[in-house]
Amino acid sequence: MPRASIVVPAYNSADTLPATLDSLLAQSFSDFEIIVVNDGSTDETGAVAAAYATDPRVNVVSQANRGLAGARNTGIAAARGEYIGFCDADDLWAREKLAAHVEHLDQNTDIGLSYSGSRLIDEEGLPMGAAQRPRLKGVTGAHIFKRNPIGNGSAAVMRRAALRDLAYRPRSEPSRDWVFDETFRQSEDIECWLRLALTTDWQIEGVGGSLTMYRINGNGLSANTDRQLAAWERVVSKLRPLNPEFFMRHEATARAYQLRYLARRAVSALDGDAAWAMVRHAMYHSLVPIIEEPIKTVTTIAAAALLRAIGPSPINYAVRLRAGIASR
Amino acid sequence: MTKIKVVHLVDDTTAGGVMRTLDYLTGRPELTGCVEQSVHAINRGSLTIGRIDADVIVSHLTVSWRGLPGLVALRAMNASARLVHVEHSYTRAFTALNVARKSRFFALLRVAYSLFDTVVSVSHAQADWLRARSLVSTDALRVIQPQVELGALTKIVRPTRKPRVIGAIGRLERQKGFDILIDAFRLCPSPDARLLIFGQGSEKARLEELSAGDPRIEFRGHAEDPAQAYREVDFVAVPSRWEAFGLVVREAKAAGVPVLLAPVDGLLDQVGDGAKPVAYCDTKRWANALEDVLRLGDLSTFATERAATEEESDFAADWHAVFLGDDMAPSYQDAA
Repeated sequence: MPRASIVVPAYNSADTLPATLDSLLAQSFSDFEIIVVNDGSTDETGAVAAAYATDPRVNVVSQANRGLAGARNTGIAAARGEYIGFCDADDLWAREKLAAHVEHLDQNTDIGLSYSGSRLIDEEGLPMGAAQRPRLKGVTGAHIFKRNPIGNGSAAVMRRAALRDLAYRPRSEPSRDWVFDETFRQSEDIECWLRLALTTDWQIEGVGGSLTMYRINGNGLSANTDRQLAAWERVVSKLRPLNPEFFMRHEATARAYQLRYLARRAVSALDGDAAWAMVRHAMYHSLVPIIEEPIKTVTTIAAAALLRAIGPSPINYAVRLRAGIASR
Repeated sequence: MTKIKVVHLVDDTTAGGVMRTLDYLTGRPELTGCVEQSVHAINRGSLTIGRIDADVIVSHLTVSWRGLPGLVALRAMNASARLVHVEHSYTRAFTALNVARKSRFFALLRVAYSLFDTVVSVSHAQADWLRARSLVSTDALRVIQPQVELGALTKIVRPTRKPRVIGAIGRLERQKGFDILIDAFRLCPSPDARLLIFGQGSEKARLEELSAGDPRIEFRGHAEDPAQAYREVDFVAVPSRWEAFGLVVREAKAAGVPVLLAPVDGLLDQVGDGAKPVAYCDTKRWANALEDVLRLGDLSTFATERAATEEESDFAADWHAVFLGDDMAPSYQDAA
């Protein structure tokens, strides 16, 4: 039985899946299996995955499309490892990533989720020069809610026992448990991590280094900010009854951070009106981000204002100077 | 034979369940022949508990960083006494909901518990958690569920009728989850259903606000006579967010009143014999469960039977074994 399992949800990712799997197969910690979940892809993903399955460490599970959460849940159900990590089929793991998390979880039995920072890469897989360098220690539910230090869906390696504590079986589900809530098509990560922080006694902690290469996809960034916000709001209303005081204390600030994040995405997509609406909305809910993270917040406000007032040229100029506006 | 001298330390004489369990324990006639028990109240977090003239010191204190030096001093100044701690407060769900930095909290508990010869857990679920988290070494851990005087409750004669009246009994604090119950009840359309809430606490105003405009919900204040409360209700709802044991379920069972409960912590010990698990902090599923009982009017699935009384002698025997420090916790008769 392998000590670790890496779940790779793959939907129409034939182009990027080989690089992802190559980075996983090159891990310095060698006692692992990979579970590729082909989530109803309509491209060559199935064939690409099948070619890799000749390696005894790679298993492929295929299913009709259930979304990211559903693909991860299927992967978890098939995983045999004591530790289970997630890597989306367009992201990459640094060679030493799994080793770092196995060591971290081995040494700290109270930790249920170990994560790391990330470097951002573009569609060609080239570094954008920006990184997610989150808080690593002393992480609380409030940190998860406001700033989500776990950052992206390819950063976490979890302890099986923690996944078990999160698992539930909805009435409509005949075959396996849910860890991620499959009714979400967005915000499924933050829902799961926040539920881990609020309903289990597992500690969440990070290890040093930027060990994930997280791909920023230029397509489809705009337009869906409203849908993203709606999904985030549904996470809040779903989890609020667990701990109303927690939400009373942190909700407004967390919402402001979420709106700031969406504003930055709108700026990246060069949608000035949406960006400005998000920024105004954020400031209406809470000014805490200006105090806690003045530079990033003020830059966001300025970028949104500029974009709305005089169009994309200053932003394009700034992007050329230093890529990374899309980072959180 | 000289009697074993036992001193119980408490820091919160207002906590109903702890004091009632202690009253019951110190009043056990099976123990009075061989054990002399007394109760000392101290200030929470006291640093100067000092030397105590006792063979066995039983802490019912709330473990905290502030109180830790006091516990270390207690151990140091009473080196020859057996030290026992009863964990009345902390559970897995308590930690999940109330502790921001969990590994730091576990470090506190590990240090604090290591000062005691025996740690008594009040439910099997709590003990499973203490063991799984390596907070207490397995050989130092005992499980003794709390007992209180149930006499008056077992004599209640209850009419069989279509269930209409839901009871919520306990302190009006966030822990008890009555906010979830009120929201769930308000989703139940039955016009003749009622929700009676017995208890007092800091959440009263907020709960009243949640209930505003629904005349079916009534706040009755603290029930001086619990038997009267159990006589008025057809079933009891226990939607707690955390619960080390949950005496209300034991009382309801003694009174022959069916229970819907949240499957969490010590409440898990009490599922069955008339107590049915519903859902944890889930308003919609609680509403469905309440409506099922109200609409179908069928409580038979609860298989209600009155709790057997033989558990009471186990309670005294288990405590006797803890006082003696018997590793194998023999039965009371063997030990005596």
